[in-house]
Amino acid sequence: MIRRLAIRLLPSCLALLGALLVSAAIIVVSGHNPWLAFSAVVQGAFGSLDSVSEVAVKSCPLLLTGLAIAVSFQAGVWNIGAEGQLLMGALAMAALGTRAATLPAWLDLSVDLVAAAGCGAAWAGIAGQLKRRRNVNEVISTIMLNFIALALISYLVQGPLMEAGGRYPQTDAILPGLWLPRLSPYRVHLGVVVALLMAAALHVLLYHTVAGYEMRAAGANPQAARLAGINVDRRLLLALMLSGGFAGLAGAIEVSAVTRRLYEHFSPGWGFTAIAVGLLGRLSPAGVVVAAFFFGALDTGSNAMQRVAGVSSVLVSIIQATVILFLVTLERVHWLRGTPSSGE
Amino acid sequence: MSLLAVRGVSKRFHAVQALARVDLDFRAGEIHAILGENGAGKSTLMHVLDGVLRPDDGTILVDGQAVSFASPRDARAAGIGMVHQHFTLVEALTVAENLALSLPGQSRWRFDATAAAAAATELASRIGLDLSPPDALVRDLPVGARQRLEILKALAAAGRVLILDEPTAVLTPQEVGQLFAMLRELRTQNRLVIFITHKLREVKAVADRVTIMRRGCVIDTLAVRDVTENQMAELMVGEVMPTHTRAAPAPTPGEAGLAVAHLHAHDARGLPALVDVSFVVHAGEILGVAGVDGNGQRELFEVLVGLLPPDRGSVAVGGHALTGFTPSAAHAAGIGHIPPDRHREGLALSMTVAENFLLSRTTLDRFSRRGLLQWGAARRFARELAQQYAISYAGLDTPVRSLSGGNQQRVIVARELADQPRVLVTVNPTRGLDVHAARAVADAIVNVARRGCAVVLISTDLDEVLDLSDRITVLSRGRLSAPLTPPIDPERLGLLMAGAGSV
Repeated sequence: MIRRLAIRLLPSCLALLGALLVSAAIIVVSGHNPWLAFSAVVQGAFGSLDSVSEVAVKSCPLLLTGLAIAVSFQAGVWNIGAEGQLLMGALAMAALGTRAATLPAWLDLSVDLVAAAGCGAAWAGIAGQLKRRRNVNEVISTIMLNFIALALISYLVQGPLMEAGGRYPQTDAILPGLWLPRLSPYRVHLGVVVALLMAAALHVLLYHTVAGYEMRAAGANPQAARLAGINVDRRLLLALMLSGGFAGLAGAIEVSAVTRRLYEHFSPGWGFTAIAVGLLGRLSPAGVVVAAFFFGALDTGSNAMQRVAGVSSVLVSIIQATVILFLVTLERVHWLRGTPSSGE
Repeated sequence: MSLLAVRGVSKRFHAVQALARVDLDFRAGEIHAILGENGAGKSTLMHVLDGVLRPDDGTILVDGQAVSFASPRDARAAGIGMVHQHFTLVEALTVAENLALSLPGQSRWRFDATAAAAAATELASRIGLDLSPPDALVRDLPVGARQRLEILKALAAAGRVLILDEPTAVLTPQEVGQLFAMLRELRTQNRLVIFITHKLREVKAVADRVTIMRRGCVIDTLAVRDVTENQMAELMVGEVMPTHTRAAPAPTPGEAGLAVAHLHAHDARGLPALVDVSFVVHAGEILGVAGVDGNGQRELFEVLVGLLPPDRGSVAVGGHALTGFTPSAAHAAGIGHIPPDRHREGLALSMTVAENFLLSRTTLDRFSRRGLLQWGAARRFARELAQQYAISYAGLDTPVRSLSGGNQQRVIVARELADQPRVLVTVNPTRGLDVHAARAVADAIVNVARRGCAVVLISTDLDEVLDLSDRITVLSRGRLSAPLTPPIDPERLGLLMAGAGSV
């Protein structure tokens, strides 16, 4: 088990090493000290309890959307729409959260979170049904649904859902009873725990249930899965909707725990960074947890790096992108995939 | 002097001797057919001539000069062009644009559509072939016209020798007639046409000389007018010596394991693939379905395992008709399968050995409770099967991709037979395996039949069919012959396989 995990994560570690070397080279070329820059990142991310809490907060949406990528990619469904699904989840939370509560607050919050996840799942389900009934490529449809979600929110926060005062393009704050509890005085919140529980749940689903096995088999070889008597179409739809559910939950938790309201440009592109997180985590829930916290730490530490070492925080994006390029390149290396050199 | 000749050409793929010291002469101005079963070495020989494969040994002579081809480009420079069964046209481009891709003298930077169209028309009239409108898109052309374009392409680039790999497989009877007329026209221009086939009738219809190959060897080259279809069939199939591995074939008549009645089905292109196919396999019996690839084998398999709903007809297991044609319905009825291509449809290569042992509805249901997989029991099951079938593997958690081909096939066989199917449908179960693994798989199939399973063995390997089957039928152009029982007359079998008519 440990050995299996190690082999699975080896390409990620190599890719990471490569990315750090490349970025070190870039730092040197731009006339700075890479050692100083990297230690500033580490110091900025883990130097104090406050910064560690900040890492957790930044990781939370990446973790949940990373899980969204993991479940769909493992089933061979290329969901590029986690961003749009996240926005729809956030929208649901913001819309439901401003209405007067009728239930006890904790129950109301739970219902809202579930509804938000459902909203993300339904948004993904549109692409799923298009694929199933009309054979529309999900890559195209999920990307297009991202634009629709963005435009919809832009319209709503300037129109029907605009705050009561009417000054800024944003919704009213949600009711305080619906705020996810924080570990005062830090910003870290209960949503991080929820995200970790979701990772555990996804692990059980993928590796210990028939439905999860069928999704993975459908992704690994749809023809063999179909011949084995697995309803591949239904499994693909399920994977895509689960994926949308995770993304929707990510958006809702962000609204409930951090921003407390929805506005234009709400997401800095979590749904896209999630693809990098998912791939770096080798599409396994445990790997996604590690990758999400790594990306969260990079984000948190990048400001310190800019301050201390004078290296632009954009470098973090370079590291993230380079990791992925290395990873997809390493995917093609045979000995990392467990293929015998002799072949057939 | 021969235009093209091979001397002592050998080619080996791992354990398989595909060509063994082949000597052949081809003359200018002849249509030369190469006849043989699947695996006789026809395609390997042609790929050697076309520069795709390099021979291990021997030489190729063009005009008496030894040549060596590193790639098809070299072969084309020597005047040899090949038309493959699978066309190499760009469907989204026009006829002229496709031709321009192979015509010499194209500018590297600029594409001149008018000049290309003119060149295409000029080429077609020089060779004397009808060309489709130069500005027609290839995807709108019927198959026959595409093939003509493909031939024109090969002649444009090469010109002296045209090799056709089973050119009639995809054509309608009318298109076959047009093709033959075209080949005769090329013969009058003193070109050499080599065409690979396994259809005796076509050899008689168009070829001047025929070379018969079997197991990598040239058996004989004959003038077509001096030889009958029957003689060719006998030479093609050879001495049939069934080396039965079974002690006593003991079908118990009366107990129909699998009954198929009046099955009609279409292939993916919408052409009829199965025509009124009916047969019965008794429990404990192995029915061999011989035949050359592409005569409905794939469709028969797909209908029986529930992948392809037939247009008409019924399939019954143990006297109960299948209610639906889905893989789950087939599993529920007790139909197991060993698919033709283990990588494409037998295994999930990136998943682990243990997970691949579960890749079947029945097994999956057996090792799950309320939707949860029972990994403890499933892993015990996998270990037992691996031991029983002598599968060597590094660990249950390694990807099945890392196993050798023989061991991969044994995983499939073990998994499917563990379900204790009432019916087993297998297609080329030992293809590509070394002798040892092939033996193990064949033994497993015979054993499951002895335990009362009705086995349908669809195979293009005649030896396999003869070795294992209790009765043999031949699938040719989607029609199934009446079953033959041993002793089998090789001439009759050869005629049936070559589509020389029903019994």
